[in-house]
Amino acid sequence: MTRSLAQEVAVIGVSCTKFGENFDQSLQEMMVEAGTAACQDAGISVDDVQAAWLGTFSPGFGGGKATITLSDALKMRGRPITRVENYCATGTDAFRNAAAAVAAGKYEIVMVLGAEKLRDRAVRGLQREGIHPYLESGSTAPGLFALSANRYMHTFGTDRRTLAKVAVKNHANGALNPKAHFQTKVTEEQVLKAQIIAYPFGLFDCCPTTDGAAAAILCRADLASKFRKELILLRGSGLAVMSGKPFLDPTVDYLGFPSTTAAAQQAYQEAGINDPVKEVDFCEVHDCFTWTEITNYEDLGFCKKGEGGKFIEEGRSALTGDVPFNPSGGLKSFGHPVGATGVRMIYEIVTQLRGEAGARQVKDAEVGLAHNLGGPGAVACVVILGREA
Amino acid sequence: MKGIVGHAVRLPAYAVSRDEIARAWQISSPGGQKRCVRFDEDSLTLAATAAQDCIAGLERAAIGGLLFASTTAPHLERLNASLIAAVCDLPAPCATMDLASSLRSASSGLQTALSLIEGRQGDTVVVCAGDTRDAEPGSGEEMLFADAGAAVAVGDQNVIAELVSATTVYDDFLDTVRRDRDEFITSFASKFSTDRGYVAPMQTAIQSALKQGGLTAQQVSKAALTSPDKRSHLQLAKKLGLTENQVQDILFNDVGLTGSAMPLILLSAALECAQPGDIILVAAHGNGADALVFRVTDNIRSYKSGLPISQQATRVPYASYTQYRKARDYFRRADNGLEISNVLYAKEEHQNVRLHGSECSHCGTRQFPVTQICVSCRKGDQLREVALARSGTIFTFAQDELYPSPFPPTLMAVVDLAGGGRIYCELVDCLPSDARIGMPVDLMFRKFKEGGGLYHYYWKCRPGKGL
Repeated sequence: MTRSLAQEVAVIGVSCTKFGENFDQSLQEMMVEAGTAACQDAGISVDDVQAAWLGTFSPGFGGGKATITLSDALKMRGRPITRVENYCATGTDAFRNAAAAVAAGKYEIVMVLGAEKLRDRAVRGLQREGIHPYLESGSTAPGLFALSANRYMHTFGTDRRTLAKVAVKNHANGALNPKAHFQTKVTEEQVLKAQIIAYPFGLFDCCPTTDGAAAAILCRADLASKFRKELILLRGSGLAVMSGKPFLDPTVDYLGFPSTTAAAQQAYQEAGINDPVKEVDFCEVHDCFTWTEITNYEDLGFCKKGEGGKFIEEGRSALTGDVPFNPSGGLKSFGHPVGATGVRMIYEIVTQLRGEAGARQVKDAEVGLAHNLGGPGAVACVVILGREA
Repeated sequence: MKGIVGHAVRLPAYAVSRDEIARAWQISSPGGQKRCVRFDEDSLTLAATAAQDCIAGLERAAIGGLLFASTTAPHLERLNASLIAAVCDLPAPCATMDLASSLRSASSGLQTALSLIEGRQGDTVVVCAGDTRDAEPGSGEEMLFADAGAAVAVGDQNVIAELVSATTVYDDFLDTVRRDRDEFITSFASKFSTDRGYVAPMQTAIQSALKQGGLTAQQVSKAALTSPDKRSHLQLAKKLGLTENQVQDILFNDVGLTGSAMPLILLSAALECAQPGDIILVAAHGNGADALVFRVTDNIRSYKSGLPISQQATRVPYASYTQYRKARDYFRRADNGLEISNVLYAKEEHQNVRLHGSECSHCGTRQFPVTQICVSCRKGDQLREVALARSGTIFTFAQDELYPSPFPPTLMAVVDLAGGGRIYCELVDCLPSDARIGMPVDLMFRKFKEGGGLYHYYWKCRPGKGL
């Protein structure tokens, strides 16, 4: 029997830098900005942080590979720092590990910080890793997700116009968000006419390559009222890992991501959620590509497989819909600095639950869900936060 | 009885029109087109694909030798034939050798192969050839030189064309020369070169072979004669007393001059149309000449050849001369560093080169790569290594405009192999608009990059036979 962490961990501080092409900031500067601001938000000093988890995906010119990157940025000396890397689910997984340590009673106050500097390179997209010489030649992120999108669209007859609606919605939300990478609305026609990157994805179906950092301060729930009156508590979390080479696995149907479904089930069980449509008020999900958000609706259990297109077409995921998805603008519009994204989602959920989201505020936000996907689709992490009942 | 037991030709799907070359250099065009490789093919991959097609219907365990002939082998040190033998998944005791330096290296290889099987009953030896001769931009040869591969298997079981006679003559004549340090040939092309360097030794070798076989020129059904240009083989034929319809078309308009692969291609073309009892003469030039005479047997009626030449039409014509030139050295310019370890290469040769996977005896699932625990039933005690099929259907695919390529998009396909196993590889020789989910594909060995002083090869797929 696993032990539930529900209600045992509180998020007492959050912060997020402006996401975008942060040419005037180094990785270290973004980390200092995010880390300091999160401590300020919690009403603590960096010295009060007993342990930290750093989420970064790729080592860049300014570091990012090892824990020392965070130690050197915040001059956080003599304390445990753990680096987490789990593809694009890095940020939420760092949060999940930090929460488990707090719930276990090992630490009272910890920091989770996600940061990534992707725009220090002129090339678009993620840097190619030291890949296996044979098995992965020819792959890019849009290409790998297009394998799924094409099979899905072939099976369910979805067209590009439906995908475009996700971009239109998330850009509209991002236009209300002063920290988003893109703060401009787009039209369906603009999305459809954009240059093709990997069919069915045009430029506007893809999230950008972005710089950014975000941080959260976690505290044992029973001590949290010292820092905040209204508590935001972890309700549940889950992480599921599938094959990193789905293209070699003959059992994969390419219609969605079972990792998301498995991670969500773990989180729902911990949070005691039976019907997410009724019990979750809004979601920040991993819309690296427009189609990904459509399969997320289904894989997270908000509608049946194959009905994700209808879900967006009916406006249910809009800011004014019954379950707003990506009120922040999502990866699509807010940007996607890999390791920072998951922590940025936590920032958005907390901001919404506090009722501090301004123009993009979701009405009556009591329970929010963050969903991170990586690999592609190989790793999924779900975190559910709620206001103290 | 010994002779030919299999044959196959591999023509590249790409071509450039000679009028386009002429336009680029403001010179006159002899018309037609020449076949040329995509940027991910070389002499080795052309020969390997032909060899694979050639042995498709033969018993693999009986293959005791593989000879590779080329004047443009990708490796000067590293046995090209060994890599091709591994691609063909041949047994380890197989004799492997590279033949080089001459346009008649493949015909000499054919004679060597026939002598290798002497006294080794049941043995099969494969001769494959590939050439990708690059001519100096703007030169006359640039109009002529084309890329292609071919393979012929010889043995003494189920012979489709029995060896009647074979001869060879050498002649250290200065004709075309490429030294170890040269990128392009130095040519003495002239009437003297044609008469003295081509017609004379060919005539000697052919007449001697016919005499040895007790045959006259009139008895030859088809003469497969290599040529240094568009027409000289017809001049030779006239001297030999052959009529034009006895001479195999050299495919000049569609293909071009294919170097060391040419004699095997013309032989294969002649065999595709042959009837039992036909006499087939094949002769090749290059510092002398080789001539071989075969008599077609009744087995030709039941022989199933690889993809016939008529079904290897151009799929992707280069739109311009510039594109053609860009393709010829793309990987050299896009060198992206050493990403291979010889430890890994040795460890994974069976899966990556021989295309082996695992089969689970519990649930029957075939899977790639070789694995320790079944992807389907999760049991790990009854997996055995198996050779996977080299054809399948596309389960899903992507057209990736972002992946670095001289001609985007890069098509990447998830392929379900016939009989099981799933592989992820590039779909090549296919217009993006022709790619479909459910499309049958054949796997072929291609180059995927250069780097660290190495050529890197892996499997790719192309539209299946008949598509």
